[in-house]
Amino acid sequence: MSSSALAYIGAGIAMGLAALGTAWGIGHLAGRAVEGTARQPEASGVIRTTMLIATAFIEAIALYAFVVSFLLATKS
Amino acid sequence: MELLEEFELHPVFNLPKIFGVDLSITKAVIVMWVAVALTSVLVIYAGRKRGLVVGGLKGGVEAILEFIRNEIVIENIGREGLVWYPFITALFFFILFNNLLGLLPGSFTPTSNINTTATLAIIVFLSVIVQGMIKKGPIKYWLKLVPKGVPAFLGPFLFIIEFVSLLAKPLSLAVRLFANMFAGHVVLGAFLGLIFFFGSYFVAPAPLLITVALRLLEVMFSAIQAYIFAMLSSMYIGAAIHDEH
Repeated sequence: MSSSALAYIGAGIAMGLAALGTAWGIGHLAGRAVEGTARQPEASGVIRTTMLIATAFIEAIALYAFVVSFLLATKS
Repeated sequence: MELLEEFELHPVFNLPKIFGVDLSITKAVIVMWVAVALTSVLVIYAGRKRGLVVGGLKGGVEAILEFIRNEIVIENIGREGLVWYPFITALFFFILFNNLLGLLPGSFTPTSNINTTATLAIIVFLSVIVQGMIKKGPIKYWLKLVPKGVPAFLGPFLFIIEFVSLLAKPLSLAVRLFANMFAGHVVLGAFLGLIFFFGSYFVAPAPLLITVALRLLEVMFSAIQAYIFAMLSSMYIGAAIHDEH
């Protein structure tokens, strides 16, 4: 197997694993946010803002992996 | 690769090199100038004269300014941090306009280039260090990086760890903004590329509609990323002023 083929495989695996973790994280976060809103509808504004910020943090981790996999895929 | 053509910079107006640094004017520079102009015009216009009743654009900008003042600066730095209010406001609007102008067709997103975001992050990093050294004293600030009540022999190790984590802050700040903008535009390009990939009139509307929806999402992310950059900067400055431990 050539090194560029390995780089492509590595890029795919990196992005896939990052997406897995991020999906779990954001799913967990959104689920908890909905739960909190259902229990305390008057706090929905604060919960939504906090959720959006946390989403951006979680997303950023996936985006680091995206940059790495992009570098791997365009290396060859 | 065609997908990355969008992120290549070509000089629009050539300038001579000074000490080996290429100072040519590129698309990114022009977009940043426009962003700076919009930021200053909008904020100066909104903050110039306070009438009793404000409406329209002025009211909207004032609402954002109030939000930055109360929810970002006072919340994270405290009342003494109001010195930083103009700086945080400038950061917020500059990043917001850079992100939004990049969404225009044929434009360039300066924040999708790591050099721009790294520069912003380094400015924030230097502000944090200078503010901390002013507040706690030039040498005491560095000593205070190590938490209290730590055994003496662990001190140097903890100092190195804390120092590395201090350096990691601007890095994550820069990479977060850069990667968000870069990835957003790559995704947009990839979905539009599906049209050429299939090359059929029946399939073409679907990627087009998806791109429109994603572009709307990107407008939202532009605002959120600007907000997060401003908030994290003020949080770091706030941590330099207050004692966490």
